Amino acid sequence: MRLPLWVVALGLLAAKGASGQGAPDTVMLHSVVIQAPRLSDFTSGIKMQVLDSSTMAHYRTASLGDLLRGESPVFIKNYGPGSLATASFRGSGAGHTAILWNGFNIGSPMNGQVDLSLVPAGIADQVRVQYGGAGALWGSGAVGGAVQLNDQPVFSRGLTVDAGASLGSFGDNRQQMLAEWSGAKWISSISAYRSAARNNFEYRNLELRGSPLERQQNAEFRQNGLVAATHLRINEGQQLHLHYWYQHNDRQVPATLLQAASTAEQRDASHRATAEWQRNGARANSYVRAGWFDDRLDWHGAATDSAAQNRSRTFIAEAEMRLRISSTQRIDLGVNNTWADAISDGYPNRLHQNRTAAFAAYRIGSRDQRSSAMASVRQEMVGGVPVPFTWTVGGEHAIAKVLSVKANASRLYRIPTFNDLYWVPGGDPGLLPESGCGGELGLHAKAGLSGDWAVHTEVTGFQRLMDNWIIWLPSGVYWSPRNLMNVWSRGVEARGGITWKKRRTTVKLDVMTNYVRSTNERAKSANDASVGKQLIYVPMYSGHGRITVGHGHVQASVGTDYTGYRYTSTDNLDFLPPYWLLNATVSCRIAKGRGYTVDLLAQGYNLLGESYQVMLGRPMPLQSFNLGLQVHFNRPLRQPLHQE
Amino acid sequence: MKRIHFVHAAGAATMLLLLAACHKDKPEPPVQGQGQTATGHGVYITNEGNFQWGNASVGWYDPATGQATEDLYAAANGTGMGDVCQSMCLHDGKAYIVLNNSAKVTVVDAETFVATATITGFSSPRYFLPVGNGKAYVTEMSGNKVRVVDLNTSTIIGSIACAGVTQELALAAGKVFITNESKPYVYVVDPATDAITDSVAVSRGGGTLTSDADGMLWVACTGGGGTPAALYRIDPQTVEVANTVPIPGPRISPWRLRANGTGDTLYLLNGDVYRLSITDAAFPSAAFIPANGRNLYGLGIDPLDGNIYVADAIDYVQRGKVYQYAANGAEVGNFLAGRIPNGFVFR
Repeated sequence: MRLPLWVVALGLLAAKGASGQGAPDTVMLHSVVIQAPRLSDFTSGIKMQVLDSSTMAHYRTASLGDLLRGESPVFIKNYGPGSLATASFRGSGAGHTAILWNGFNIGSPMNGQVDLSLVPAGIADQVRVQYGGAGALWGSGAVGGAVQLNDQPVFSRGLTVDAGASLGSFGDNRQQMLAEWSGAKWISSISAYRSAARNNFEYRNLELRGSPLERQQNAEFRQNGLVAATHLRINEGQQLHLHYWYQHNDRQVPATLLQAASTAEQRDASHRATAEWQRNGARANSYVRAGWFDDRLDWHGAATDSAAQNRSRTFIAEAEMRLRISSTQRIDLGVNNTWADAISDGYPNRLHQNRTAAFAAYRIGSRDQRSSAMASVRQEMVGGVPVPFTWTVGGEHAIAKVLSVKANASRLYRIPTFNDLYWVPGGDPGLLPESGCGGELGLHAKAGLSGDWAVHTEVTGFQRLMDNWIIWLPSGVYWSPRNLMNVWSRGVEARGGITWKKRRTTVKLDVMTNYVRSTNERAKSANDASVGKQLIYVPMYSGHGRITVGHGHVQASVGTDYTGYRYTSTDNLDFLPPYWLLNATVSCRIAKGRGYTVDLLAQGYNLLGESYQVMLGRPMPLQSFNLGLQVHFNRPLRQPLHQE
Repeated sequence: MKRIHFVHAAGAATMLLLLAACHKDKPEPPVQGQGQTATGHGVYITNEGNFQWGNASVGWYDPATGQATEDLYAAANGTGMGDVCQSMCLHDGKAYIVLNNSAKVTVVDAETFVATATITGFSSPRYFLPVGNGKAYVTEMSGNKVRVVDLNTSTIIGSIACAGVTQELALAAGKVFITNESKPYVYVVDPATDAITDSVAVSRGGGTLTSDADGMLWVACTGGGGTPAALYRIDPQTVEVANTVPIPGPRISPWRLRANGTGDTLYLLNGDVYRLSITDAAFPSAAFIPANGRNLYGLGIDPLDGNIYVADAIDYVQRGKVYQYAANGAEVGNFLAGRIPNGFVFR
């Protein structure tokens, strides 16, 4: 077959894989729980990336930060292996990506962020990356996008045991184990995981003459966690879902390159519990949900004899009703109440906040299912004071069998965090919420070409304007947050892939490129040279490319990540240079029997030993390797199911 | 073939969009005076840099030629200087650079800026003062002590217990006066015994001090904890407050208190630049040099010509700007500095 020129060009330029790597061994039978979060029903026109089990298999012991860095265009501000990692989604800030665990926002009420290095990717069966804000669906903080970590329980699956272990460079060792009983009426599962690393990697200190090899100090980490879930089918129409997640992290905080040696340590502990009751009726589904989160963060710096203790608690209650008003129309109505409190050495007293939101969404689809449109609205009150009214509209249309178009527009906002409002000194209770508008237009094409070839490509242009963007600046002798910036973000995301498949052999090329401009449009002070300049730590260009060759149960892939210039000064004169990383993965099934499989996974990162920093002064390792073994066992239910 | 047609159209659109997305991301190299050494009369600019970013620097400005150098240290030593340059002190042909978050004092040749020694063992050093007998004191933000340094061996040889955040220090009447931001006192140390001998009650938030033509000491306090913002004039002989000048205003944070070469005029930052005579009984109601939307962060007075140097740190994440004013307040010129210019050392 003849490859068109643009396919070749796309291949040279850009992206990344969407489709799975091979059919699962066991075909899921019986009834599957449809726990549809708002997203799947009311996301017409919204770009969505679903990271399925075949992708997740490569990240079973990795962090959510690693998963997003490897599989999505989200730029991860990674302070080093095991250290803080925050997201910059489409040129937004760290508090601008909502992280949702089974539909609950787990962002800290203190700083609005989630440390992505502390969230294991394996916590979820499925990760969905929603591009763009759609603030009306998820509320405050969903500005750049939202990341959903979802459980996908399946009834009547019998007994499942999953156990995995990995060994990696720098004393990295991780174990996880899951046991699940899945009957016709109920599912109970418990999983435990732990990871630890000395993390004493070598790096080149580019800040010193001759770039000497140095070894990272004070960077050990340990993580222990436990997740328990129970799903109950009360009767034909009612289900109950319960989740509990405990995690404890102990990590040393390494010094930066020109800082004195560090002896600082940080301890994070969290309890998260959620419950959802669901009733499915003929015309309506009802949901009542509640979530309770308790997060502690203790920091201790031995050298400076300083310590900080923080604790926050969040209680979320939500009721939602989904109505099918006709075969093509649906309505969603709901209320959410989020109560949070926090104590910290930085706060004058115990703080609390109550937020109440009412939301509604409407979706209509055409009878031929070629077109759909949705509109959603949300009004939130913080302590009785209304924040900006938020809306999202979107639609998609299949122009042809192979080509579809998506578009949406939405109002976005982020309310100031506890730190912004009350930190002593500096916090300002008079701060306004950040607010703005965003929109996007995307084209998606997918086709089987002649013979054994298939090709897909997706390109999306987006734009977002955020006003009253909060920034902390010194005011006199201490720092204070101010609604000073006006940030215009826009860009183009493209990804595409070509697959060749013949019998048991698959060859795949996936490419993704991102172009993001995110500029400050308002002078913060008289001499501000940042107007019209890119925000710091937002790469204008980035991309991934990966070639995967699979034959039966053996698969090998080689991929490269490119990250362009990141400015380290708002006048864009100081920067960190671009870097290319070359990574490789080999996986193979080494044993298979009645009900069980054993898989081996070997991964190598930064194979060319690039010396780079994602964040200024924070070294990253040269080559590193990791070898994992995963055992999966399943014993199906003995009795055939009675008819339901 | 219609379906193939659409795929081609989408592919072509992709390529067009990617081509349209071309904005150069490689930054222009910054323009700065290269290869300049600190010779003759001029001013060093200490650029604090961002906490944990390792981008502290010391610049040099030659008022005769108007040439500014952004980073003397990197040019002379080929590496970054360190993390958070809090202050610098000239002594005996050497410059002692206090690097707060590198927890060290780097000693360089004052002209060539080639590093000759490093003093380590601090926890969070702030200011450096030679006190005679080959010794210097270094204040610390944490650790509740002031360090004693041997200038010949470049090592810490002792410490003086002093609870709180100790800041600037000065030698007067054979005594060392040390400000303490977290205590309502200025402490007095005998440099012969390295012991605290006395203290002077002032307001809280004392951080900067200077001496005047009469040999008196002035301390600027931001107040707080029930104490008012004020300037205190201390007689170093009697170790008593000779005069207090309260600072009125709704939003006050007086600091960077400096005197001119003749010691008859005081300057300080309080949002804007204020000026007062050492004989004034009241704080001036109007600013001498208004900030006009600038984030004024550093202040220095050239002892030779009385020129006033004011640093604008802008948003703290870009190159700062330094303004040079004549003693009468007329702007003489301005130049770009490094990251977060916080002070000036004259030579």
